[in-house]
Amino acid sequence: MTLFSIARKNMKNNFNNYFLYFASMIFSIVIYFTFVSLKYDKTILASSDSSPKISAAFSAASVVLMIFVAIFIWYSNSFFTRKRKKEVALYSLLGVRKKQIGKMLFYENFLLGVIALAIGIALGSILSKYFVLLLMKVMGHESLAHFSISFSAIVNTIIVFMIITLLTSFQGYRVIYRFKLIDLFQAEKQGESEPKASLFLALLSIVLIGVGYWIALQNLVTSNVWKTLGMAITPLIILATVILGTYLLFSTVTVYMLKLAKKNKKSYWNGINIIGVSQLLYRIKGNARTLTIIAILSATTLSAVGTSYSSYYNNKHNVEMTNPNSIMFTVTDNNISKKVQDTISKDKNHQILYHETIPTIEVNVDTKNLYDYGDMPYTFISVSDFNILAKEQHRKDSLSLKGNQAAILDAAYMEGFSPKYIGTEVSFNLKEHEQKISFIDLKKYSVLNAKTVFNTIVISDELFTELVKVTNPLDMEVYKIKNEDDAENVTKELKSIIPDQAKFSNFYTDYTSGLETTGLLIFMSGFLGLVFLAATGSIIYFKQLTEATSDKGRYEILLKIGVKKKEIYKSIAKQVLFIFAIPLLAGIAHSAIALTALSNLLQTNLVVPVVICISVYTAIYIFYYFLTVNTYYKIVAKTK
Amino acid sequence: MKKIVQAKNVQKDFGSKGNLFRALQDINIEINEGEFVGIMGPSGAGKSTLLNIFSTIDKPTSGDIVIDGKEIMMMDDEQLSDFRRDRLGFIFQDYNLLDTLTVNENILLPLALAKVPEKEIEKRVEKIADSFGIREILNKYPYHISGGQKQRVAASRAIVANPSLILADEPTGALDSKSATNLLESLSNLNKKNSATILMVTHDAYAASFCKRVLFINDGKLYMELHKAEKTRKAFFQDVLDALSSLGGGHHDVI
Repeated sequence: MTLFSIARKNMKNNFNNYFLYFASMIFSIVIYFTFVSLKYDKTILASSDSSPKISAAFSAASVVLMIFVAIFIWYSNSFFTRKRKKEVALYSLLGVRKKQIGKMLFYENFLLGVIALAIGIALGSILSKYFVLLLMKVMGHESLAHFSISFSAIVNTIIVFMIITLLTSFQGYRVIYRFKLIDLFQAEKQGESEPKASLFLALLSIVLIGVGYWIALQNLVTSNVWKTLGMAITPLIILATVILGTYLLFSTVTVYMLKLAKKNKKSYWNGINIIGVSQLLYRIKGNARTLTIIAILSATTLSAVGTSYSSYYNNKHNVEMTNPNSIMFTVTDNNISKKVQDTISKDKNHQILYHETIPTIEVNVDTKNLYDYGDMPYTFISVSDFNILAKEQHRKDSLSLKGNQAAILDAAYMEGFSPKYIGTEVSFNLKEHEQKISFIDLKKYSVLNAKTVFNTIVISDELFTELVKVTNPLDMEVYKIKNEDDAENVTKELKSIIPDQAKFSNFYTDYTSGLETTGLLIFMSGFLGLVFLAATGSIIYFKQLTEATSDKGRYEILLKIGVKKKEIYKSIAKQVLFIFAIPLLAGIAHSAIALTALSNLLQTNLVVPVVICISVYTAIYIFYYFLTVNTYYKIVAKTK
Repeated sequence: MKKIVQAKNVQKDFGSKGNLFRALQDINIEINEGEFVGIMGPSGAGKSTLLNIFSTIDKPTSGDIVIDGKEIMMMDDEQLSDFRRDRLGFIFQDYNLLDTLTVNENILLPLALAKVPEKEIEKRVEKIADSFGIREILNKYPYHISGGQKQRVAASRAIVANPSLILADEPTGALDSKSATNLLESLSNLNKKNSATILMVTHDAYAASFCKRVLFINDGKLYMELHKAEKTRKAFFQDVLDALSSLGGGHHDVI
């Protein structure tokens, strides 16, 4: 019997333990392979205007993935080694040399890595095609006809994972030299004493998290905290307080709660509760670090995926905000305007819903009452034109202005950042015509496309007619067409007709480029999130299974003294639920705060996309929960 | 007198056809309420198999067993669990205490499982702790107490729910002689004062001499039976030793 064959046998017999690790590893390899393929693929590079962006994004994502996978494999590996201390000690006692045992562990891990790599690349070659289809779909492209597996992607994946496997295998080899034989045998015997709960630390943990949350929810601009601590340091302080707080929360508050549960003898001394609670209490301190890591990983994943999904989800809304009209340009030549109208009317798919020609005036306004600096150009329109457009754009809103009353249209209005408009008076000088206007209203949208005009001020009809007398108005052509989000051909044609100085802006171009960027983002963060989730799920799974193996004796005693298997299942389900729920709830809470801060900053409502993200995450997490409970139960209640 | 255990023609086979091993053969045992019965025999004689069958964690191949009026062969897993919880008490060689629970909690575990009210639990644990002299260590954890103390805790747990039958599997096996004597005297007292029914498997003649009756098994069969009757413990000890030497193979097991 050679070492290699022992290693192979060990793996076969331990397959149950290895399975999830193996699966997570394969999954990571598949995703890595896909990312690298996308980086190298020529058809994608050719198909998209933003191809350098795609390539760079996938390079960055694959590096993140690589680092994460390396840490994950390292961590899982140390789990397995610790779990098998006894086995190693036995070999050692039987006189197998350390060098040989080390070699055996090295072989085992190496074999595992190579098999995972082979399966990963095979699966990746098949699946990456579908992943690319998915990417193209979320980016709003037509699907690609031929996507081919690139040889360089395979080589890249093999090299990277071979290095990771070699390094982690070497770690297994080293472990043997670090342990003394006596430690190996006593490893599991050392009684962990009951943890002590410090009221001070428990309160501190809540205070720390509270402070972190509080700072995160402060307004970036107006709050003194951000001002005094600085933009660079404050996020670090938030991170530090929340992470430390979470750790203390898990290591002390949970102990506190469990002890409280223990004090209530009526429920504690009732059936199997006594087992579950004491078991949790016994383990919780050792678990606090893992739980913290999982909570933070969950929070990071949820925040990242939540953010990118929100931007994807809000893309249409954002583009509508900047392009309330499907098509808009400045009239430079009546022939062009005529040509444009003909082109649009020709297209049967994109009927004209409205078409207006709006006179505007460009004015340099002295804004020292609004900002610190001087003149800024604005576009003026008359209140009646505003009301026409508002009605056409289905805004249930209208204005009535008289004399020197005005209203500002600011689609990018941000509480705190933007000046206080209402009640402020500004002045301008148009061809020796001095005029003051005062803002009586503010609309957080515009009726004109942001790329064609300046920020828009609505003035009264009287004032507008007066100004037209001194200067020539600029006419704007605005169109709303049906199916504006797939107006590819018409947009192309218009681009060739309308000259640059007409500042052509349209919904379609912005919409597709937004979709490209946010689609790329959601694709990457979605898959990275899935890898993170698979890894965190596996970590809890391993940890629980390790505990199950060492708790086996306890459950055997319980079965002997007359505890029903059903009761044991229930008790395990409760215990594991505690371990799973705690980091998930903390992760959700942290990400909810992070995303609330983000939505305050962006002034958008992220509730729907974030809730969808959290639900999907939780659903997959629940799958891991049931998997763990069932395997745990199988381990401890298997009848001989 | 009430019969606690009635075993008729109990037989237990291991292995399958062609490779059959008969661990127990035609075992007939009756134990009355208030008896303290020892089972002795050389290694491999079938002592532990018999105890496992009485413990309801193993089933005989054939035969009838009635414990406390219940036909245990007819029960399913769930019923057996309840039966063990309510009628049987266990003392194991390696104590089998739960190291996540305090001594107090270990003792009250069977009561908690049977959902006895908390006031009642406290009363009963205190009483038992006093009788086994472990009151001071009630709040300690098992890894902080000695082997002798552990076994007394295990004994307390075994009897706290007032079981009809206490099953002890080599209870003194891991104890030094002083702790062993201590435990055996406690069990003997329990038997005399509370008329608890105890069935103890041991290969230690000294431990067996505390019993009122000792059964000897050899090669899966009942071989002989000794009654203490009015003899002193010392005299009975000598009888047991003689019986063992006649059994052969038992020699090296003697003290």
